[in-house]
Amino acid sequence: MTTEFMQRAPDKTMSARECFGIDSSLTVPAFSERDDHVPDIDPAYRFNAEVTLAILAGFMCNRRVMVQGLHGTGKSTHIEQVAARLNWPCVRVNLDGHISRLDLVGKDAIVLRDERQITEFQEGIVPWALQRPVALIFDEYDAGRPDVMFVIQRILERDGSFTLLDQNRVIRPHRYFRLFATTNTIGLGNVNGLYHGTQLLNHAQMDRWNVVATLNYLPRDEEVDIVLARVPEMADEAGRALVQSMVGMAALTRKGFAAGDLSTLMSPRTVIDWAENCQIFRDPALAFRLTFLNKCEEAERAIVAEYYQRCFDVELAGEPAADAVSGADDRGARQ
Amino acid sequence: MMPPPEAVSAAVRREALCAAVVRALTGDAALHYRGGRLCRQRRPLPLHAPHLHGNAYIDDFASLRGASDGAAARLTHSDPALHRLLSPEDRLERLLFELFEQVRCEALAAPGMQGLARNLRYRFESWSRAYCRSGLIDGHLGILVYTVLQVVWSRVTGWPVLAESEGLIEATRAGIAPHIGSALAGLRRDRFDQRAYGEIGRDLARRIAAMLEDARAGSRLEDEADADARDPDDPLTSFSLWVDFDDSDDLLPGGDARAEGRAPFEAARAYRAYTTQFDREVRAGRLVRAALLREYREQLDERIAARGINVARVARAMQAALAVPVRNGWSFGEEDGRIDGRRLAQIVSSPGERRVFVQERVRPRGDCVLGLLIDCSASMKAHVDTVAMLVDTLTRASEQAGLTTEVLGFTTGAWNGGRARNEWLAQGRPPRPGRLNELCHMVFKSADDSWRRARSDIAALFKADLFREGVDGEAIEWACTRLAAHQAARRILVVISDGSPMDAATVQANDARYLDAHLSEVLGRHESLRDVDVIGLGVARDLSVSFRHCLALDPAAPLDTKRLISLAQWIGARR
Repeated sequence: MTTEFMQRAPDKTMSARECFGIDSSLTVPAFSERDDHVPDIDPAYRFNAEVTLAILAGFMCNRRVMVQGLHGTGKSTHIEQVAARLNWPCVRVNLDGHISRLDLVGKDAIVLRDERQITEFQEGIVPWALQRPVALIFDEYDAGRPDVMFVIQRILERDGSFTLLDQNRVIRPHRYFRLFATTNTIGLGNVNGLYHGTQLLNHAQMDRWNVVATLNYLPRDEEVDIVLARVPEMADEAGRALVQSMVGMAALTRKGFAAGDLSTLMSPRTVIDWAENCQIFRDPALAFRLTFLNKCEEAERAIVAEYYQRCFDVELAGEPAADAVSGADDRGARQ
Repeated sequence: MMPPPEAVSAAVRREALCAAVVRALTGDAALHYRGGRLCRQRRPLPLHAPHLHGNAYIDDFASLRGASDGAAARLTHSDPALHRLLSPEDRLERLLFELFEQVRCEALAAPGMQGLARNLRYRFESWSRAYCRSGLIDGHLGILVYTVLQVVWSRVTGWPVLAESEGLIEATRAGIAPHIGSALAGLRRDRFDQRAYGEIGRDLARRIAAMLEDARAGSRLEDEADADARDPDDPLTSFSLWVDFDDSDDLLPGGDARAEGRAPFEAARAYRAYTTQFDREVRAGRLVRAALLREYREQLDERIAARGINVARVARAMQAALAVPVRNGWSFGEEDGRIDGRRLAQIVSSPGERRVFVQERVRPRGDCVLGLLIDCSASMKAHVDTVAMLVDTLTRASEQAGLTTEVLGFTTGAWNGGRARNEWLAQGRPPRPGRLNELCHMVFKSADDSWRRARSDIAALFKADLFREGVDGEAIEWACTRLAAHQAARRILVVISDGSPMDAATVQANDARYLDAHLSEVLGRHESLRDVDVIGLGVARDLSVSFRHCLALDPAAPLDTKRLISLAQWIGARR
């Protein structure tokens, strides 16, 4: 990383309408040259209008944007794909419960210089990114320990500078430094039992995020298009019908989850996996079993099998079909 | 006729599956089946189309699925307020109008739901067959309504009419075709627009009703001489496939407060005990001689041993279902974590030693109090074996899992009202006396007792003459009050019963629904309060009429570890 990289700045503008296919007249600053840190463009990616606008606001106006949503909705990918199209360098940090202050801020490390061992301060990811035109993405923000996350408290302010206590140095953020985060919960912890290991976030910090976008499950047709774009082998008439049923199935599991009947649900990623597995196993039912059903609790499989019957008109083998068809024996009861 | 126990548990399970699908299709978590009707909270939904009334005991599973899918389609695609606004007044017109709307909703089933569409079609066709079989179709009204419905259904959904009855309806169809042709086309065209469709539908219903009126006038003239002429309206009131609007006229969708079934509600408000002077709460163990109790206990132990039940596994299932992880102490000698200060010397002396860290330990803790309330009415005597084993094992397993348990029972102190009724008679039988009996609430195991201490008391269940009558509502109230006194994240009350409340004296002196209404009222209150989860375990009985969550237990099937585990999971399921 040279000073040249640190000097870079957006040198062109792009139209949001053309670039992301959303209905907006925004023009967004962008870099004309790609860099190692710019993510690859996924041409099949579909942008959600609202979330795209939020992320673009983050890039254009230097807002701190948090994207919240259930798992598998493509939150991090969404930010990355926006950055990829803007050629904006992007660094993704996966937070977990073991990331400490030293990892983020930097620490003294032993390095070799002139064949002698010396101790030298090495910047952590936060000061490094802060001085460069980089979009820093904190993934799984709610997995980070809240006491540690206070190190970013000041840089959440737009012009907040960052003090390196170890060096008595104050770092001013680069003009084109951007900060994003993705999270499953909205900082209230593991309420529904789905996201084990998430933390209760400090709401003084939550409050500092300027924009909180929610990326939840998409309308059925959009989701069908996404799956088809991912698995182009299915893009014929029959394949489309199949994918529609698959997406319908996923929608049922989501509503079933919301109603408390299921303890797990199918994310768009599961649907894509299922579609891909269909190509491997050549049998949607088998692929479904291997992709999702085996992740479900034993007691809930009967319900999932019912959903499957609704969508595909097929009884999942081994599920309560045996008892289901015995209904005729009970004739005459309760009269 | 009582259905066989295995049929009951199968039916309850099927109904539960259908309810789960309805919830998933509509996204409304409050929907469930109660006594075979789809309810929101405790209110039955006004789904009047006759083919939506599935019966888990009679219909096959595919048909039941169709009925619940039809209900879900209706709830998803129809705006109840608009529907109510457009509904005609006349009974027959209203019925037709309901049917048309239902057909419209079924035609709108989402793409990519082939199974759903097939279930709907299957249900409609099997209902049509049953209709033909019932003989209704012979009447003038019957055939006319049937024909209109078949034609509309076929036209709007695009599926062919039922092949078997095509010949039957041919003549009528040809007769009415010129009158309804344009309306049919309109229905098909406007099926995405409820208002436009509804207006055409209402018009069509009016025209059909007018046709019928003409026919009736004609037939009156012909039959005038015949005094015994059957009223052509007869099928409407006598055949069970037709719904009775009157009983649920005010249960309109979107339900307002008055929609709570009115009569039972008033009865429940008036519920009172004539006297509580003779009611008592006793330790069950005191009611049986100590020697006999020991004998009963040995008997119970032998039976449990004979079943080879693995209590530890049931306890693990209980724990998994009900316990929550809490930080509890430290685990030393770990390979990662925080450095243990006391091991610093060891690090210096033997740097190769890595087990010098401590970690916080997370342990499951059962923050839950579980109550088992046993209905000790006379009919339960037959099942006492199974119930005693079940209760004993569940109590033991819960204790191992760290849960607090209470085992309670309810019966009456005497038959036929006992002293309470005598007093009422002595007072000159004042009207509407309320509950007339000596309640007897038994504590087999209180929360403070350990299982070991209460084990002989639990065996008191074998004492046959404790089993008399039962007043469920008050017993549940009592048990809930006991459970609510405990500080716990969850309080669950499992009511083990084989039917509705039974107390001859009270029923005679009040009305037949008096105790049932109170039971429903008590359950409804706790459901909305959410202080205690009251769930029903029916012994060879479907309790879904009163309980929101229930399961049927087949007492004939042997009680083994697997069934106990599934019961434990059911008890612990999130609700």
